[in-house]
Amino acid sequence: MKKYILNSFVAAAILFTAACKPEIETPAGTTAGQANFSKYIAVGNSLTSGFADGGLYLEGQKVAYPNLIAAKMASVGGGAFTSPFFSEEHSNGSGYISLTALVNGTPTLTPIIDKLAFRDPAKHLDKYSGEIQNLGIPGMRVDLSFDPTLTFSAANPYFERLLTDAQVGKTNYFQYIQGRNHTFFSLWLGNNDVLGYALNGAVTVTGDPTTVLTDKVTFSSLYANFLNALTAGGQKGIVATIPDVTAVPYFNTVTVAALLNAAKAINPAAAAIYIQTGTGAVRPATADDLIRLPFQSAGLFGQGAIPYGLHPLNPIENKWVLDKDEVVKVKDYVNSYNSSIKSLATSKGLAIADTYAYFNQVKTGINVQGVGINASFITGGAFSLDGIHLTPRGNAAIANLFIDAINAKYGSTVPNIDITQYRGVKFPDAK
Amino acid sequence: MKKFLLSALLSAPLWVLGQGFQVNLQGQKQIGMAGAGSALPLDEASVFYNPGAVTFLEKNSVSAGVNPLLFKSAFKQSGSNITENVKNKIAPPFEAYAVWGPKSNKWKLGLGVYTPFGGLVDWGDNWSGKYALTSLNLKAIYFQPTLSIKITDRIGIGAGFVYNHGDVNLQRALPVNYPDGRSGHATLEGTGSGYGWNAGLYIKTLSNITFAVVHKSKVVTKLNDGTATFDVPESLRSAFPAGNTFNAELPLPSTTTLGIGVPLSKSTTLAFDASWVQWHVYQNLTFDYAINTPQLTDKPSERNYHDGSSFKLGINHQASEKLALRAGLGYAFSPVQDGYVTPEAPDADRYILSAGLGYTPTRHFEVNASFFFEDVKSRKQKNIETGLDGTFKTLVYAPGISLTYKW
Repeated sequence: MKKYILNSFVAAAILFTAACKPEIETPAGTTAGQANFSKYIAVGNSLTSGFADGGLYLEGQKVAYPNLIAAKMASVGGGAFTSPFFSEEHSNGSGYISLTALVNGTPTLTPIIDKLAFRDPAKHLDKYSGEIQNLGIPGMRVDLSFDPTLTFSAANPYFERLLTDAQVGKTNYFQYIQGRNHTFFSLWLGNNDVLGYALNGAVTVTGDPTTVLTDKVTFSSLYANFLNALTAGGQKGIVATIPDVTAVPYFNTVTVAALLNAAKAINPAAAAIYIQTGTGAVRPATADDLIRLPFQSAGLFGQGAIPYGLHPLNPIENKWVLDKDEVVKVKDYVNSYNSSIKSLATSKGLAIADTYAYFNQVKTGINVQGVGINASFITGGAFSLDGIHLTPRGNAAIANLFIDAINAKYGSTVPNIDITQYRGVKFPDAK
Repeated sequence: MKKFLLSALLSAPLWVLGQGFQVNLQGQKQIGMAGAGSALPLDEASVFYNPGAVTFLEKNSVSAGVNPLLFKSAFKQSGSNITENVKNKIAPPFEAYAVWGPKSNKWKLGLGVYTPFGGLVDWGDNWSGKYALTSLNLKAIYFQPTLSIKITDRIGIGAGFVYNHGDVNLQRALPVNYPDGRSGHATLEGTGSGYGWNAGLYIKTLSNITFAVVHKSKVVTKLNDGTATFDVPESLRSAFPAGNTFNAELPLPSTTTLGIGVPLSKSTTLAFDASWVQWHVYQNLTFDYAINTPQLTDKPSERNYHDGSSFKLGINHQASEKLALRAGLGYAFSPVQDGYVTPEAPDADRYILSAGLGYTPTRHFEVNASFFFEDVKSRKQKNIETGLDGTFKTLVYAPGISLTYKW
């Protein structure tokens, strides 16, 4: 009898404990504050579109930072968020590069060429029609948003696919983003106004408007036009600064020291790496000269009767190098653009996501929720295989930067994103 | 051209064993009194609570008990609206004691087998702190032969030798992704042993108020040749070699306890214990891998524990010849400093509440049951090493039962 009492005592205790979960109360997801997230639009370039691994494809589109933010806005009054996704049948979109081998740290990058979304031999992409709220267009620049010739809408395949046949060649991006009845916006644009120049080794190609540096004053006045249009109905929103282009793996992977070590491994007498600078001068390279990532797989280094890059008579060409004077110039433009962005946004009372400061932190390495992320190529976790655009993990980190800035500015409690649910680079599972 | 990749893989070092792993469940009567009772010769569990009191036990006895423990921890990332809970897994702390000595002699022998440290936490393989830890199963089983001697009719001393058998299985996800997007996984598993001692002094004053001073030494448990298994994409195998092993040391802290027993009436006794747990021995945790790579170093993971302490008050009431009722409450200060809280043992200061009852149907048999509850305070933390940032909240429930045979 007494045993029964004891047994039921234990049984009751176990049942009781199974029911009693600890609770943690936080305000996340309870209020939109002074903002109205019912119709959010995202204006920007490749970063906004979800471009990654050198291409625009469905997996990247789905984890673009605006899409991640919009999903979290849903708990505080956010509405649907539409994006120009590629279809499942053409999920690889423009194609992209994948990592197919990694031997002693040297990657093999292989293009993905199936399930592409080219609708004709001229490589026009599948058209997308319907409502679009992720308005990010790879390659878009502040200056070209106002393209007076309206030709960029035909020349840029990512822009062209979003337009009706009647619009192609008849509009520019600034016109395109207007009239969308948005209640909230994000604007992260301007990277390409300097990156296009830097990615070409600071060589402006005659007749190619994507390789010029946008004038500082022009940038400021055009950016103001964007903010005026986007806040015309009193809408709230967030703008983002432009990362230092030298903070990305694209310029920090093929270092002069690494090249010299590689040369010494073959010829211990190798003493210097020679480059051709923007002024045409040839000189030994220093740690302040940055060499573009694609040089790694260009197959040029050390080749030829006069070994390429190892002799003043056969230096690394100007287009591969952002020499130290060019680095100073590029940094100066980025700083100027950013001070324009910040002062214009401040005068409009908008939130600011300081991606410039954030990527400088990533450059030295940060730990987020147990994940170490840094700016190392492939292993850093934040940057995809093109060395410029973000991995899903990088997008999640940036989305949280935006969310934190939005919440701080507008008193909202948009929940943060769990970065650990998003991947870095995919490593091949074979030797 | 080769070296400039892979140079900084996984900046978060392999990370690990935490902490507030002390399990205060070593005797059903004392558990019912919140863990107080070092100054009371209540039963054979005095082998653990105070070897000096063992010689004052009236009878010889053997007992065994178990306290199925449910550690219910929840975590919410900072800024998130999602609460994650550990899986319901029941850890089985147990205790077994034997006390024997010739009647009316001045000495008694004792043996205790118990689990003073341990942890069973399983957060699942895909929770938001998975890169810090997915699960931990830690068991320390102490074997303690003991001798207790009555110096006078009112003073007893006792001491025991402690052998610890430790088992650990620790798992975490690695932030490297397979082609299908899933994460890598690390499993560290090992068995080790350590030695220590346990000694106590028991004094019964003329007013029948009793005092206890007990010291349980630290037990440094050495794990040798544990297995380190890394599930990673094959292209990263050279960074995480197959068949790797590790050595590690887990210092389990010493505890000094001062106890007082106050007889309130013939049938009611009050017990108070103050304990000082010298967790400062736990400065870091280091896995010394047999094969090191740039990604797999022997870098210590800092713990920097402070000493912890606890205060426990219990009451034992003999309601009838056969039935005893008990209750207790306590408070414990965490040894874990801000910035070092981990999901292995998401520690914080805690309240303790307990209740218990004992039933003695015959001269020889006794059944004791207890219920032990800990409310570990909510603690918002950002771990310095991993960056894991969020709020932990833990509740601990442990019902228990033991059987005793006395002669």
